[in-house]
Amino acid sequence: MKRRPPTLRDKKRYILASLVPCHDETGGKEVYNAVINSATSLYGDTGTAEMHPVVVFCEGGYAIIRCVRGTEKDCETAISLVNGICGKEAALRPVATSGTIMSLKSRMKDKKPVKTGLVDINGETFTSYHYPRQKVDLAIEKIKSQELLFLTEIDLEE
Amino acid sequence: MQRTDAMVCPYPVGSASLRRMVIEAEELGFDSIVALTDEPAPQGDRVTVLKACLITEPSVKSMRAKAKRAFGSNDLVVVEAGDRAFNRAVVSYTGVHILRNLYRAPKGSFDHITARFAADNSTGIDINLYPIISYSGPGRQNVLQCYADIIRLHRKLGFPVTISTGAKSVCGMRSVRSIKLICELFGMTGDEVDFALGGVRRILEPEMPVRVVP
Repeated sequence: MKRRPPTLRDKKRYILASLVPCHDETGGKEVYNAVINSATSLYGDTGTAEMHPVVVFCEGGYAIIRCVRGTEKDCETAISLVNGICGKEAALRPVATSGTIMSLKSRMKDKKPVKTGLVDINGETFTSYHYPRQKVDLAIEKIKSQELLFLTEIDLEE
Repeated sequence: MQRTDAMVCPYPVGSASLRRMVIEAEELGFDSIVALTDEPAPQGDRVTVLKACLITEPSVKSMRAKAKRAFGSNDLVVVEAGDRAFNRAVVSYTGVHILRNLYRAPKGSFDHITARFAADNSTGIDINLYPIISYSGPGRQNVLQCYADIIRLHRKLGFPVTISTGAKSVCGMRSVRSIKLICELFGMTGDEVDFALGGVRRILEPEMPVRVVP
């Protein structure tokens, strides 16, 4: 179908959501599936179709989700209820809503780990990701799952 | 404005340490958290940690005995809900601060009479967001229905309400903004959510009429 002229198109809104934990390289497709599953389970097929959520950006621990104007509150609620991405424990936290992607990108902070390393706890080797404010995420890949520990540098020293 | 997450479960129950949960709570807009822990609260943070004791005893007698023992050593005594008679006994007992997980209790276990007792004794009723986040389908529908009933009774009788995420890790914690959106699902308004987030403080420091101290 031919694309409609700008005046006849639906007005869109963009939601900036923060990914937790942010060390995983989660792709847009996985985030989209998580949001769609959450929205469908909450509002059903009709509600989700009205909302029309699409992931337009997913990088650096943030995702930008586009939805139809007027449904952004419902879309944010569905985003808040995401509790796993691709079978792994994760969360999406809505940060801001805007009419342009540019204004949302200006609100994004650098969430890259300050340093990474290996830590031995109870005979298991975890990969550690150190973040500002002394936050440390520990992750270990198991056969079918991933185990996560959320600590601080003081906890690691103890 | 005081905003308290009325229950988080740090390590060893959960997978995040208490210190990490305190940092996250601050970033999410809370000024205090209620933690199910024996660890001493970290010093020098802007977030206050209130220690809680969760009682899951099924009988009134053992619940009272445990609550009596826990009252002095913890900031808050929280009891898991049971049947109607048990809930009435819990909310009438002055040593208990919060009745929790009513969605797990049998249907009709929290009626208008129990709600009246809770209002008279200033016992809080906790709204745990964990089942709304993690359940789906009929399970979630039942929880939403149960919480809508509680809110209806709260509006009529005015007992204190608290909101908790029941988070066992950082991924389970939600921001104040998200909590407002989730609570809208069962009919709470933004102002009611703000009021409920300050519910723990109001239970611990109830508003009393002014007295002249001689």
